[in-house]
Amino acid sequence: MTSTLGPALMGPMGGGKGISDGQFSDKGKPTEVRLSNMNAAKAVSDAVRTSLGPKGMDKMIQTSTGEVVITNDGATILKHMAVLHPAARMLVELSQAQDIEAGDGTTSVVVLAGSLLGAAEKLLSQGIHPTTIAHSFQKAATKAVELLNDISIPVDMNDRESLMRAAATSLNSKIVSQYSSILAPIAVTAVTRLLSPVSSNVDLRDIRIVKKVGGTIEDTELVEGVALNQVVISSAGGPTRIDKARIGLIQFQLSSPKPDMDNQIVVNDYRQMDRILKEERQYLLNLCKRIKKTGCNVLLIQKSILRDAVTDLSLHFLAKLKIMVIKDVERDEIDFIAKSTGCKPVADIEAFTEDKLGSAELVEEFSQNGMKVVKVTGVKNPGKTVSIVCTGANQLVLEESERSLHDALCVVRCIVKKRALIAGGGAPEIHLSRLLTQHAQTLKGKESYCFQAFAEALEIIPTTLAENAGLNPIQIVTELRNRHSLGERTAGINVKKGIISNILEENVVQPLLVSTSALELATETVALILRIDDIQFTR
Amino acid sequence: MSAQMYQRDPRAGLFLGGQRTSGAEIRDQNVMACQTVSNILKSSLGPVGLDKMLVDNVGDVTITNDGATILSLLEVSHPAARILVSLATQQDKEVGDGTTSVVLLASELLRRANELVRNKIHPTTVITGYRLACKEACRFMADQLSTKVDKLGRGCLVNVAKTSMSSKILAADDDFFAPMVVDAMLAVMTVNPRGEKKYPVKAVNVLKAHGKSARESFMVKGYALNCTVASQAMKTRIQGAKIACLDINLAKQRMHLGVHITIDDPEQLEAIRARESEITLERVRKILATGANVILTTKGIDDLCLKEFIEAGAMAVRRCRKEDLRRIARATGGTMISSLANLEGEETFEASSLGHAEEVVQERISDDELILVKGTKVVSSSSIILRGANDYMLDEMERALHDALSIVKRTLESGSVVPGGGAVETALSIYLENFATTLGSREQLAIAEFANALLTIPKTLSMNAAKDSTDLVAKLRAYHNAAQAAPTSDPKRKLMFYGLDLLKGEVVDNREAGVLEPTISKIKSLKSALEAATSLLRIDDSIVVQPEERGGGDDGHGH
Repeated sequence: MTSTLGPALMGPMGGGKGISDGQFSDKGKPTEVRLSNMNAAKAVSDAVRTSLGPKGMDKMIQTSTGEVVITNDGATILKHMAVLHPAARMLVELSQAQDIEAGDGTTSVVVLAGSLLGAAEKLLSQGIHPTTIAHSFQKAATKAVELLNDISIPVDMNDRESLMRAAATSLNSKIVSQYSSILAPIAVTAVTRLLSPVSSNVDLRDIRIVKKVGGTIEDTELVEGVALNQVVISSAGGPTRIDKARIGLIQFQLSSPKPDMDNQIVVNDYRQMDRILKEERQYLLNLCKRIKKTGCNVLLIQKSILRDAVTDLSLHFLAKLKIMVIKDVERDEIDFIAKSTGCKPVADIEAFTEDKLGSAELVEEFSQNGMKVVKVTGVKNPGKTVSIVCTGANQLVLEESERSLHDALCVVRCIVKKRALIAGGGAPEIHLSRLLTQHAQTLKGKESYCFQAFAEALEIIPTTLAENAGLNPIQIVTELRNRHSLGERTAGINVKKGIISNILEENVVQPLLVSTSALELATETVALILRIDDIQFTR
Repeated sequence: MSAQMYQRDPRAGLFLGGQRTSGAEIRDQNVMACQTVSNILKSSLGPVGLDKMLVDNVGDVTITNDGATILSLLEVSHPAARILVSLATQQDKEVGDGTTSVVLLASELLRRANELVRNKIHPTTVITGYRLACKEACRFMADQLSTKVDKLGRGCLVNVAKTSMSSKILAADDDFFAPMVVDAMLAVMTVNPRGEKKYPVKAVNVLKAHGKSARESFMVKGYALNCTVASQAMKTRIQGAKIACLDINLAKQRMHLGVHITIDDPEQLEAIRARESEITLERVRKILATGANVILTTKGIDDLCLKEFIEAGAMAVRRCRKEDLRRIARATGGTMISSLANLEGEETFEASSLGHAEEVVQERISDDELILVKGTKVVSSSSIILRGANDYMLDEMERALHDALSIVKRTLESGSVVPGGGAVETALSIYLENFATTLGSREQLAIAEFANALLTIPKTLSMNAAKDSTDLVAKLRAYHNAAQAAPTSDPKRKLMFYGLDLLKGEVVDNREAGVLEPTISKIKSLKSALEAATSLLRIDDSIVVQPEERGGGDDGHGH
């Protein structure tokens, strides 16, 4: 089914020539605009549909720069696709919004939006006014969120088991699913380490993921402390392992200052040559000695574009003073390092004093499977940060593994934000669909119709899950409905075995926030698209 | 361009600037691409595999049968095929050998998986089955097939090296090279701070010298430098050497950029010049004062300074490779000095940074002169000097040697070996087939296919040797089946180590015959082949975004 998806040149209104004429009337019938918008948006949701669920498949995307990405993360897929249609872009942004808000469920939110648009299309054809649909949908979504809250299971942050289950559920739909038993504990430990009893959110920037090609995903590990991408500079024979480290973080350079272009140093006597050479040595030596004097034995130097961070000479001095040197620390890493090691960045040698140093038991450069990573462990008074060294056999797998790990972290964070879990495997959607249908019967008029349609649209999630797993969707969804009406609120699709079973027993759970946020965001976007009745292109 | 988007055609909702391929078609495409790659490598597997000649766009010629080298030189553009290329490179980096077989295995796994998918088995089911098979295979290999090196002794190491070489250009002289490789590797053993024994492959210095035959290659206990003494007048042999390793330019001192020398008296000119050379000469004298009689530097040495060295009876070598010097410094117990400055801000050279060796000598090998550092004080080191009829041959010999060195290293570090020559693959295939029948789920089919895919190795091996592959593999399978059916104490268990002897076209006990490979390399290659096949198998959609148009948009660089 290869199809050229390049922008069709012949639009119904006669192409781009008209715009410059000033004569061009872009006002199609509002229905046409709406349908075009909906079609575009639905096409986006169709594109990611096959990636939903534990048996979802991956997409291989070759971007405009020739880079290849393999992923099944909805937000990542959409980000890399060249989506042109403005309405379709709304869905792209929708998945990004979900990525920021919840971090997981980026595929389901788009699939849900697509299905809601389909439902809206039917309602439109029945002659219901778009604003009524939009309004009722939003009411239905509010109601659905309430219902979800009712069936949620509160969870305690000390209950590692539950957290692990939620993280594993998220990981199960990724390439790394086979390693979920390794990655899930890492994600849970990382997030819970950052928690204080009162925190209601976790800043994921405090979890640093260092990516290294080499080994397999199994070698991914959590470092309580800091893992650095940079390598130790040992060209002058400096140490690569320091016990009882005192860590200094500097933002100035250990190289001889260069005069400005306009200024020149003028030598007019041979004795001055000696002085210049000596001065340079003295200058650097002075810097290095002052650093040593504070007791510092591990030196991190920020990257500079103006001057070399270190010269051979200063490295030589530092090596003699037994100071370990790591250069090219990026600007945005400074905060993290400062926070986790307790050292303060110093921008000037004058300010470099002992109280600015951080302490750690051990700083060592590890080398395994052809990759090198520097680990700082045993930090005294550690800040609330952790690092994860993420490994993979090749760049593509590694990146997907990192994305999956990010999702798992987000899932755990969601539970921190809203400490409740709900069942997965399509159970909540069927539950909502059933209750909303019942609720619709208590309403009158158009609203009832809209509620009904909303309820049906929710069934897209179990349907797609079943479809992607190669099961018969009609049979599965009807059986699911049946089981729910018999009162089994936690019955869901057991994708592994291809049957309906109590999904909680299968340990398939997801955070409440992922589902509620997906519902709210999808409905809002649909409402927005519905309200558009015209597109005007401006220059 | 905006009006184009406004349309009713539902297919036009496809909003993309690019091509999308999905479902069976993309899977077929990926499989085809991988098949193409593996077909290129197929004929170079095994002891009777043949070489490829690769000519690049400049006209440079490479002759090799090393999988990773072939693939890295090919220009592969298909994204799926690129995954296989990176698989081979990764295998080369981590294990060093078995690059061809890992690619063959991955593509065979993929092909068979695709057949299963066509028969309506969900890809994720296939993947689960494959994973299970791989896990079982690794367990079986570690438990049943592997033998500890300690039991087999040094001979085993030599055999491992021989096995690795057997498929390469060195095959004819393997009884010559294999012990050399083992000696070299044993010589460079170091113990790291955590008490682990390490065998850095890079520490074995391999030099190539054009001329004579491969058999005249030799190993030197010591370090060989591909340099010559800086001046003909210098001594070419120094006993009881005190070696200074420098990273300093011993040329006239020049002022930095931005320093201007302005003089108003012509007399001064000479003084400045004299000072420029004097600065360096002072350094040289400081070095010589400590008793150093061999001076190695990564940078240049001025003629002016050469005189000093000659007068002092020292040997000076310039433009050494930094990597070489670092190793020499470590081996001789010296330190590499990048500056003479000390912590008082003055320039000194301490005798403690000198390294010691029994002898440093310049020897003539073919047309080249080499400097050999023999009898290093702290760690022993080793260098292998390869001889060969032409450069292509030397290059290929070096690659083969590298593979053999890596394999010996793996064996030493992991400490267990498995029989080669298709023995492991056949044994695993039989084992997995039996294992599959114990499962009642859909995964059974995938495991059975995994078992079959493994047979591609013995099949290709015998095919390349122009033997009747059906016959040989059937025989081999019968042996292994008998072995696995036999109770633990039965002598028939020994049949498990039977593999192919491709020169004679027979089935023999490969453990006895000394065709061995490190277990870790087999396990690694199985796992990474699986990982590559899985990541490709999971793809059901491919989107190729059109490259950004040149000068398009308002990037300000309109053409």
